[in-house]
Amino acid sequence: MGQITATLGKTIREFLRQKTILFWTIAWPILWVLIGSFSFAGNASDEVIPYIRGSIAISMSVFALMTAGIANLPGNIAQDRERGLLSKLMSMPINPWKDFVGRILALLAFSFLAAILVTLVGYACGARFSYTLTGLWQSIGFLLLISLSSAGIGMLIGTFIKHVHGAIMSGVGIAVVTAALSGVMAPYSSLPWLLQQFAKIYPISSGNSSITYLLVGEDYAGYNPLSTSQTTLMITSSVLLFIAGLIVYSRFCWRKD
Amino acid sequence: MDIISVEDLTKKYGDNEVLKKVNLKIEEGEFYALMGPNGSGKTTLASIMASVRSPTSGKIEIYGRRPEKAKELIGYIPQENFSSPILTGKENLMYFAGLLGYSRNKAERIVDELLDKVGLSEDVNKKVSVYSGGMRKRLEVATALFPGIKVLILDEPTTGLDPSARRKFLGLIEELRREKTTILLITHIGADAELASRVGLIDEGEIIAEDEPERLKKTSGLKNVINIETTIKSEKVVNVLSNFSEKEKVLETDVGYRVFCKDVEKATPKIVRSLDAIGCKATKIETEKPSLEDVFFKLTERMVREVS
Repeated sequence: MGQITATLGKTIREFLRQKTILFWTIAWPILWVLIGSFSFAGNASDEVIPYIRGSIAISMSVFALMTAGIANLPGNIAQDRERGLLSKLMSMPINPWKDFVGRILALLAFSFLAAILVTLVGYACGARFSYTLTGLWQSIGFLLLISLSSAGIGMLIGTFIKHVHGAIMSGVGIAVVTAALSGVMAPYSSLPWLLQQFAKIYPISSGNSSITYLLVGEDYAGYNPLSTSQTTLMITSSVLLFIAGLIVYSRFCWRKD
Repeated sequence: MDIISVEDLTKKYGDNEVLKKVNLKIEEGEFYALMGPNGSGKTTLASIMASVRSPTSGKIEIYGRRPEKAKELIGYIPQENFSSPILTGKENLMYFAGLLGYSRNKAERIVDELLDKVGLSEDVNKKVSVYSGGMRKRLEVATALFPGIKVLILDEPTTGLDPSARRKFLGLIEELRREKTTILLITHIGADAELASRVGLIDEGEIIAEDEPERLKKTSGLKNVINIETTIKSEKVVNVLSNFSEKEKVLETDVGYRVFCKDVEKATPKIVRSLDAIGCKATKIETEKPSLEDVFFKLTERMVREVS
């Protein structure tokens, strides 16, 4: 066993055994898939309803990824610091980078598990998708970028908010509010102009629109998020958020004084 | 052979000097207790040794190496309960075995041995959240007993443990001592420090005395201590008792006071009468040998422990 495997195993177990984490990352998005699938279709025709449900399932999968990165990761970091585990680790002959990689791999595994469960529930509720194999792979790439940007935000929160509950609740708050404002939890077309601009800049909502565009269609995404400039912005901002989180985490969480 | 060597170690946080040119040497296989009140700098010193913090100036060597180059030799147990409550005892230790790079099979074997050694082999598959405070501390000590670790640094390990858990925990430390593990115990509890082969008393960032526990008590000049439990605790009572105590020093305890007397037999009835005169009853009076906490009080006029 290496350090990465050990950290991965420990973090995944902790994610899977904490009720708060399971609720916000899996139960809450599934609840919204159930509510959304049967309440928000409005007067749409029978042909359109399965795709509306598809876009809701995608949005809630993205929300699951968001809460995993923005709330669960900082909660996990804050918890390890609060109970002295980071001090213990600093006294051991281990590499902080490997600890970090283990945590991120655990986050990705847990996030994708949550996203798959949410999508399956959506499918069971009648969600349908229209996609190509290339589109499916591209969507997985966007999911990965969403996870990276969420992890970046999560590491920033986990580094600066010292208390476990403070870190988790700040993360949940940021995830819920930004999801609502950026069109993850509401159709892009219903947002005012200013929030539509935010939705295009915020990598998570931009990624959500890209996946919806690829798996359901442009009508459900509200705009074309796959233009070169938009995709470049999404990729760059996701990577930058992740790097910023990584630098802050390694500098301040593992700092000696 | 000195395996821990601290020379003129200073640690500052801004203008606050937490450690002031501390010098300390610990021999291989020695059980050394560093005893002092909260804020005396003992935890800072331990965390510098464990390379969790860095010193402002001075030199520190463990087996001739700087602490960050000797991490594989150090088993550090911080004050907090760092084990994960939602993992089982075995899962916690397997995590640490993985961090240290053991293969799965080897890790399984070593972890089982360690759990047996700390008396938790019956509870390996229970979540740590159902462990008692003492069991959890013993599990955490096991993380510092992996092969190759030669120095155990324990920061306030018995704080918060009930008397029975504390006894069991100290029994484990005694066992490790017999196996010649080098132990540095950070504590503010005199009775824990008395188990050590050598004790350093630290106050305001300086080691003010250092010797074997019995010799420390002998050289302090303290003869006997009267331990009095009283119906009331007040300044008036302290004033009365200070008339009978050496250099008028009276140590407050949870339930009463400790008075340092040269002639206990003569002083005791007088104390009872004097307390009666101010309306205070002595509910229990015992004569005891001085403790390390008394020695600390004599040297600093401060208590090691806050009175609750």
